Amino acid sequence: MSTAYKNRIQEFKLALSEENIKLKTLRELCFNGIPFEGGIRALCWKILLNYLPLDQTLWESFLKKQREVYSQFLKEMIIQPGIAKANMSFSREDVTMEDHPLNPNPDSRWNTYFKDNEILLQIDKDVRRLYPDMAFFQRPTEYPCQLILDPQNDYETLRRRVEQTTLKAQTVNCNRSGVTNVSSPGKALNLYPSNEYEVLPNGSEAHWEVVERILFIYAKLNPGIAYVQGMNEIVGPIYYAFATDPNSQWKEHAEADTFFCFTNLMSENRDNFIKSLDDSQCGITYKMESVYSMLRDKDLVLYLKLEEQNIKPQYFTFRWLTLLLSQEFLLPDVLRIWDTLFSDEDRFHFLVLVCCAMLILIRDKILVGDFTMNMRLLQDYPISDVHTILTKAKELQDSS
Amino acid sequence: MEAIWLYQFRLIVIGDSTVGKSCLIRRFTEGRFAQVSDPTVGVDFFSRLVEIEPGKRIKLQIWDTAGQERFRSITRAYYRNSVGGLLLFDITNRRSFQNVHDWLEEARSHVQPHSIVFLLVGHKCDLEAQRQVSRQEAEKLAGAYGMRYVETSARDAINVEHAFTELTRDIFALVRSGDITIQEGWEGVKSGFVPNVVHSSEEVTKSDRRCLC
Repeated sequence: MSTAYKNRIQEFKLALSEENIKLKTLRELCFNGIPFEGGIRALCWKILLNYLPLDQTLWESFLKKQREVYSQFLKEMIIQPGIAKANMSFSREDVTMEDHPLNPNPDSRWNTYFKDNEILLQIDKDVRRLYPDMAFFQRPTEYPCQLILDPQNDYETLRRRVEQTTLKAQTVNCNRSGVTNVSSPGKALNLYPSNEYEVLPNGSEAHWEVVERILFIYAKLNPGIAYVQGMNEIVGPIYYAFATDPNSQWKEHAEADTFFCFTNLMSENRDNFIKSLDDSQCGITYKMESVYSMLRDKDLVLYLKLEEQNIKPQYFTFRWLTLLLSQEFLLPDVLRIWDTLFSDEDRFHFLVLVCCAMLILIRDKILVGDFTMNMRLLQDYPISDVHTILTKAKELQDSS
Repeated sequence: MEAIWLYQFRLIVIGDSTVGKSCLIRRFTEGRFAQVSDPTVGVDFFSRLVEIEPGKRIKLQIWDTAGQERFRSITRAYYRNSVGGLLLFDITNRRSFQNVHDWLEEARSHVQPHSIVFLLVGHKCDLEAQRQVSRQEAEKLAGAYGMRYVETSARDAINVEHAFTELTRDIFALVRSGDITIQEGWEGVKSGFVPNVVHSSEEVTKSDRRCLC
C-alpha cells in the first residue's frame, strides 16, 4: 500500500471520527473514490445515501430501530402470509369459509397472494442471473436470516412459493393444453436449468436469495412500481458493498441496511421506472433528451453526427440512466462510479455528465462510424477505465 | 465495385420476458450461447449480413426488446421503423404462448401506416420434455395470423439461421414484388447500392465467405 493511499485512508478515518460528520468534507473526499479497506466504502455509502444520520451518537439506537422495522416487514409480508398459506393446505374443507384461495373476490387476500407470486417469480428469474461473471451471489451468506430460516416457523417460504408456483403452473397448463407429450408426473421436472443459480440446502441461503427478499419487500411496500427488471442491478452493487464489509457488526446486517439504502436511492430514481411518467418532465424521456442537449453544448460536431445518423438518445441512454451504468461496467468499476455519483449532491445530474463524457471520449470512433458500428459501440461501451470517464465528467461539470 | 449488400432490413424481436429473445439474437449474430444473460432493459441493437441467394446479401439490423410490461412505452417506438419481426414464445411456458395475440395487437396498433412481416417462433425446443405447447397448436395459430412457424433452440443452435433467413427471404420477395417499397423517412427497408466497407461489427458468417465474382 502506497503512502499516498495510506494517507488517504487516514483522511477518511479522520472525517468519519467526528461526532458530527461534516457532510461537505466527506462528499469531497468520496468524490475521488472511497477505499474498501476497513469498511470505509460501505460506511460512506450509508451516509451519502441519507441512511445514517450525521450525528454518530444517534447511530446505535437508529440502526437498532431500522433493523427491527425490517424484521417486522419480513414478518408481515413473508412469514404471516406464508403461515396462512401453510395452514390452508392442511385444511381443505375450509373452502366454505369467508376467504379462501379460490375466492374470486378481488379483495380476497388470496388474490393478493397469487398476484405477489407473479412478481416473486419475475424477481426470482432475474436474481438467479445476477452478475454471473462473479461467484459471490451464488455463495452462501455467513449470516442467513434467522427469522426466515427458523425451523419453528412452519410457513411457506419464498423459496417454497417459487417452487410451488412453478410446479402448479406446469400441472395446470399441461392439463388444459391437452398435450400428450409432456413429461410423466413422476419424472423430476428440471425447473432450473443448470445455467441458473441453485438454492442451497435448508438452513443456509445464498446471497442472491437475500437480494430476492429485499426486492420482494420493496415491491410489496411500493405497489406503484412493484418490481421492474433492472432493479436487481441497482440492489446488487449496494448489497455487495455491505455484505463484503470487513467489519462483521456491519456485515451481519447487510440485508436490512441494503433495503433502506436501496429505498432511499430509489426515491430519487423511481420516476424512471414508472411507465405513466415516461413523457413527463420528471420521466425518463426528458432525462434521455437532456444527455443530448448537454452534448450539444459540449460537443456540437459529435451531437450533429449522432443526429444525422438518427441515433436517438433512447437507443442507448435508457439503460445507462435507469441502471446508473451498472450494466455497462464490471462490478468493481460500478462501485467506483457510484462513489462519485453518490457523493454528488445532484447525483442524477452528474450521471448525465458521465453519459456525456462517455460519448465525448469515443468521439473519434463515432465520427467515422456508420449507424451499425456506432450503435454497437454504444451498446457495448469500449472504454473500461472508469477513472478517465469520471475525470472527463468532472471537467465538463467545471466548465459549465 | 459490387455492393456489399442489396438491402438493409430492420427487424424487431418481441415476446414475453425470459422466452429467450436475447439468447436467440446472440446465437444468430455472435454464434455463441450465453449460459446466463442480463435481463434486457429497454432495447438492444444487433446486426448481421445474411446471404439469401448466392451473391445476394441482406444486412439485418435487429432490435432486441425488453419483454416486461413496464418497457412497452419504450419499445413501442421501434415498431414503426421495422419491416419484419420475430414473435417469440417459449414452448415450455404456456403463458408466453397465450400472450402471442396481445403482442401482435401491440405491434399492429403502433406500426401504422406500415406493416410488419412476422414470423412466429417457438423457442427452447431443446427442452422437449417440458413442452407445454404442441407444434400443431402453434402452427394452427400462426396459420390463423398468416405467419410462418419455426421452432428454434439457441442452446443447441437449432433452426436459428433458418428462422432469420426465412423471414429475410419473405421480406425480400415482398420488396421484389413491390408490395413493400422503400420510402423516404422510413427505416424499415433501405437500398444498399453503394460501395460499403465490411466492418468487423457486421462480419459475414463462414458460409458467406465464398467469392462473389
